[in-house]
Amino acid sequence: MTRHWLHSGSLARINLRAASLLIPHADRENWMAEWSAELHHLCHAAPDEIAESPQCDPFEFSFGAFHDAFWIRWDTLRSDSLPMLRSGSAARSGLILATAAVAALLLCLLLPGARRALLWLPYRHSADLVMISSSGYAGTQSPSIALADYEEWTTDTAALFTQIAFYRPTTKGLHVARHASARLAMAQASDNLLQLLDLPDSGRVMPAAAPGEARLVLSRTAWRTLYHSDPHLVGHTADIDGRPVLIAGIIPDGDWGFAGKIDAVLLEDQRSLAVLPSRTRGFVVARIRNSAFPPPRGGWRKMVETRDKVTRGFDCISVTHLLGQPSFVFLFAMLMALLALPATTALPLGDYPRRRDHLPGTVNAQRWGFLIAKFALVIVIVDLCSTDLAYGFYASDPVSALYIQLATAFPALLFGFRWTLQDQRRRCPECLRLLSNPARVGQASCNFLSWNGTELFCVSGHGLLHIPELPTSWFSTQRWLCLDSSWRCLFAESPSPHPEMV
Amino acid sequence: MISVMPVDARLSHTAAMILQAIHAGHIYGFSVMQMTGLPSGTVYPAMRRLERDGLIVSKWEQQSIADAEQRPPRKYYRLTRTGRATLQAAYERYPLLEKMIPSPEMERA
Repeated sequence: MTRHWLHSGSLARINLRAASLLIPHADRENWMAEWSAELHHLCHAAPDEIAESPQCDPFEFSFGAFHDAFWIRWDTLRSDSLPMLRSGSAARSGLILATAAVAALLLCLLLPGARRALLWLPYRHSADLVMISSSGYAGTQSPSIALADYEEWTTDTAALFTQIAFYRPTTKGLHVARHASARLAMAQASDNLLQLLDLPDSGRVMPAAAPGEARLVLSRTAWRTLYHSDPHLVGHTADIDGRPVLIAGIIPDGDWGFAGKIDAVLLEDQRSLAVLPSRTRGFVVARIRNSAFPPPRGGWRKMVETRDKVTRGFDCISVTHLLGQPSFVFLFAMLMALLALPATTALPLGDYPRRRDHLPGTVNAQRWGFLIAKFALVIVIVDLCSTDLAYGFYASDPVSALYIQLATAFPALLFGFRWTLQDQRRRCPECLRLLSNPARVGQASCNFLSWNGTELFCVSGHGLLHIPELPTSWFSTQRWLCLDSSWRCLFAESPSPHPEMV
Repeated sequence: MISVMPVDARLSHTAAMILQAIHAGHIYGFSVMQMTGLPSGTVYPAMRRLERDGLIVSKWEQQSIADAEQRPPRKYYRLTRTGRATLQAAYERYPLLEKMIPSPEMERA
């Protein structure tokens, strides 16, 4: 029996050593010494003494050490971290704002439309990519170019564009299996579209095996839902409305940055496209020749003389500018909110006189750093939330999404900026905790000239804040009154003096 | 002069049992475990909390005593004045405490 206990005692020592690793370094030796002494006593105690104990096995005893270690860790964490996160502290506010920003970012990444708007542009060398429209920005959201015009430009605009491609949104039936077909939203496009866009995965798309062969490039979602992520699908032939097409590749869902949700791209050569009526309207994308002129920032108007000698104007709109609209709209909303802010709240933060014992510069820097961090987090949260709302739920209509983003971002930013300033004014400039215990002082009706207003104080005893009820020429804004350290004993949460101030 | 605020006399039953065990002369962690029947993972953290709250104090045994008996030195605990007062207050809340773990004075009586 004693041998068994000595054997379990050595195992228990290993357990104790492992448990001690969980304890903070400063306390580890002390705890290990106490455990070891207790274990030694347990292993060498008289049998009758052990028999009375309900947990006399050294091995079982040693497992209690893990409980001890977890308790110490939790206790250390609570005593070190929780005071920082107590009610009204700057760390708590920062943590809440940062959590909201992370939650909005995660939501943004989960919603495909919002993710696309956030990640912005999947195309490489997008600076010289333009979309041609006959009706300005509206023409980038609905088909506006006739197929006949595109066919004419393929030969006439070689000096202006290095490549030009056409596509039109359509719906076609894809025969998936025997007696099973699905209607897919497709972009019926000229065969150089993906090459022109220079998508990251466009190099993997198979070339046509024979002239005139149509190729189908599926979105990842369509591949997953219709073909159950079949890894050997590329290279097989599919049937679209009775016509055989080669399945040439799979592209990520976020790669299609233009208007409308697309399940697949059907690439066809010029001869196949020419079968369509010449008035068929679609979109035209082109790469401008850099040697011809510098790429436009927003876009420019292209004048074309048609075969029937009629001059018509088309807008060439930069794709970078087009897909960067959410950022532009958000910046516009932010500018409007900043302009409207003085109408909703006072901009000055208050009157903070210098202390006689001179606060260290780090305290002042912390105060301004906290204000800037709050502004930055509010901007990030509103940007992400408005993107979630506008593009996460209205991804199929980019124009409506722009209006929704503007309509949500402007009031949210205005409210956020107003809250940021008001919150900063209600904080102690030294410890950045929210001031508490508001007390009304004075009566306006008794003597209009005497001061009356609200007073708040810092629970750590750093000072008092006077807020006038009616701003006057001698007391126009809130005023902070510093209390020296002799007042600290009145406050329950007063800290020890700052080491630099002693 | 700033005075230390008195510790709240409302102890949990576990803490009261440990205090009573130490008061009864069970001054080592393992002997407290034996007397109260509480597991090691409960007794040691509870004793640390009681020590932090100033109800008990701990002290390491002299190394010479341990060396003479060829064993590691043990840490022993005793009640402080506040701890004794708190325990007295706890008797009103837990009247069976003294009977469960009788103190030497009670045994003599």
